[in-house]
Amino acid sequence: MAAGLQVVFGVQKIFNLACGSFYALGAYAGVSAVGWYASAGGPPALFVVPLALAGLAVGAVGVVVERGLLRFVYDRDETFQLLLTFAVVLMMEDAIRMIWGTSPRSTSGLYLTYGQLQLLGATVPVYNLIVIAASLVIALAIGWLLTRTAFGRIMRAAADNREMAEALGVDMRRVYAKVFTLGTALGTLGGALVIPATAAMSEMGIELIVEAFAVVVIGGLGSMRGAFVGALAVGVLRSIAISVYPELEMLLIYLIVIVVLVLRPRGLFGGAAA
Amino acid sequence: MLTLADLDVFIHTSHILRRVSLEVGAREVVCLVGRNGSGKTTTLRTIMGSLRPAAGRVEFRGKPIHGRRTHEIARLGLGWAPEDSGIFPDLTVAENIEIATWTRPGGRPAAERIDLAYSVFPVLHRYRARKGPEMSGGERKMLSIARTLALDPEMLLLDEPFEGLAPAIIPAVSAGVAAITKLGRAILIAESNIHHVPEYTTRLYVIERGEIVFGGPPDDAWRDATVTRIIGGAPRPTPPSRSPLQ
Repeated sequence: MAAGLQVVFGVQKIFNLACGSFYALGAYAGVSAVGWYASAGGPPALFVVPLALAGLAVGAVGVVVERGLLRFVYDRDETFQLLLTFAVVLMMEDAIRMIWGTSPRSTSGLYLTYGQLQLLGATVPVYNLIVIAASLVIALAIGWLLTRTAFGRIMRAAADNREMAEALGVDMRRVYAKVFTLGTALGTLGGALVIPATAAMSEMGIELIVEAFAVVVIGGLGSMRGAFVGALAVGVLRSIAISVYPELEMLLIYLIVIVVLVLRPRGLFGGAAA
Repeated sequence: MLTLADLDVFIHTSHILRRVSLEVGAREVVCLVGRNGSGKTTTLRTIMGSLRPAAGRVEFRGKPIHGRRTHEIARLGLGWAPEDSGIFPDLTVAENIEIATWTRPGGRPAAERIDLAYSVFPVLHRYRARKGPEMSGGERKMLSIARTLALDPEMLLLDEPFEGLAPAIIPAVSAGVAAITKLGRAILIAESNIHHVPEYTTRLYVIERGEIVFGGPPDDAWRDATVTRIIGGAPRPTPPSRSPLQ
């Protein structure tokens, strides 16, 4: 999800609060897909397939949000973008409540289908390892897309100098639509993949956006490497805090954010110049 | 090839261009000369569709293009090299040039277009793997013009191609521009320094406070009192390749 945020911000310079909602949407879609899949009698071992497909499929809302709303505020102040995406957050939250109800949803027992593993003295569900592997694959795929393909290079060029890219014949509307959809799909896929380990709640969008922004602030806006390191830092610190002194959990993250903001305002891997 | 007719352009509420008209014929090299802030860059950006004229027409190869979107104008065959070069710092020299063949596919094969770009500024070959921030101002200008050429345009718009360059590098840039004129592409150059006006200029326009005050052959310009007053002192129409620069 932080990856999605980075891609979208890096190219479009849009502060997309709605990515938390996309994450929640992906989670709910994942729960439903797995539910249908189980009731249709599919083999439990393959439940990640419908899960991931559902996550990717609802990424299509990105097209709707981008074409229907965001394109009107590209040239306006960031405040408009924040307000608009926040409105999307609230609408999506209600839409999720309407469709899936208010009680938390989960994929129940499927989480442990793949069993557990003893690792360094701790019991780790194999599914968690699958998710970690999947995020690595996604990170590598994005890296490849950005540096090795023509579309990725055009994206990076457009991120740097929009007017110049257009003057070379780049249709920015199409680039924006593609990038935003890609970012959305990364968010919804992330939501769907993580859901077996937790439960889907309608508030998870807002909760997650805070964490994702912490990741982005720590790592530096627009840097994929930063997103990866930031996510790792936040994840590790949270689990340490939970096992040592649970009350400190969220506080610790914000403390780190504050320290990073004071000492390295651009984040650990942020660009050197504006 | 390119016709501007009675263009009025506003930026916010300021009236920047006033009834600007100019003409660039096929294979012509036209210089638009004026001081900083006189409206040269605004004229070029209006041609590229970054700014919309409040009144007037822009026609390219007989078709109106004002009101069309920038990328459509570029794909019609107008290449723009901006004053700040507009190099993508994240991409290497080779990628910067190549990108023009991805964004405007069709026409000549990509390899041929890339070869052409390097042939105009052979020195770029040496920097293929370098990125924008590792290059000097002159190298960036060359890369910017080479990239525009890789777009395979019918006409190039060069915004101050010699501005702010070290005197030693100006001959190389000038030779590249001259090579492009020999390829039969039309060129419109915006220039603030009269000493930079190339000797092969076929037509010269002088712009002052958003108005065209002179248009005609360069030799007539030097005899025009208004022109000499605006561009300052006695003009020396020496080619940039030989003139020492201030």
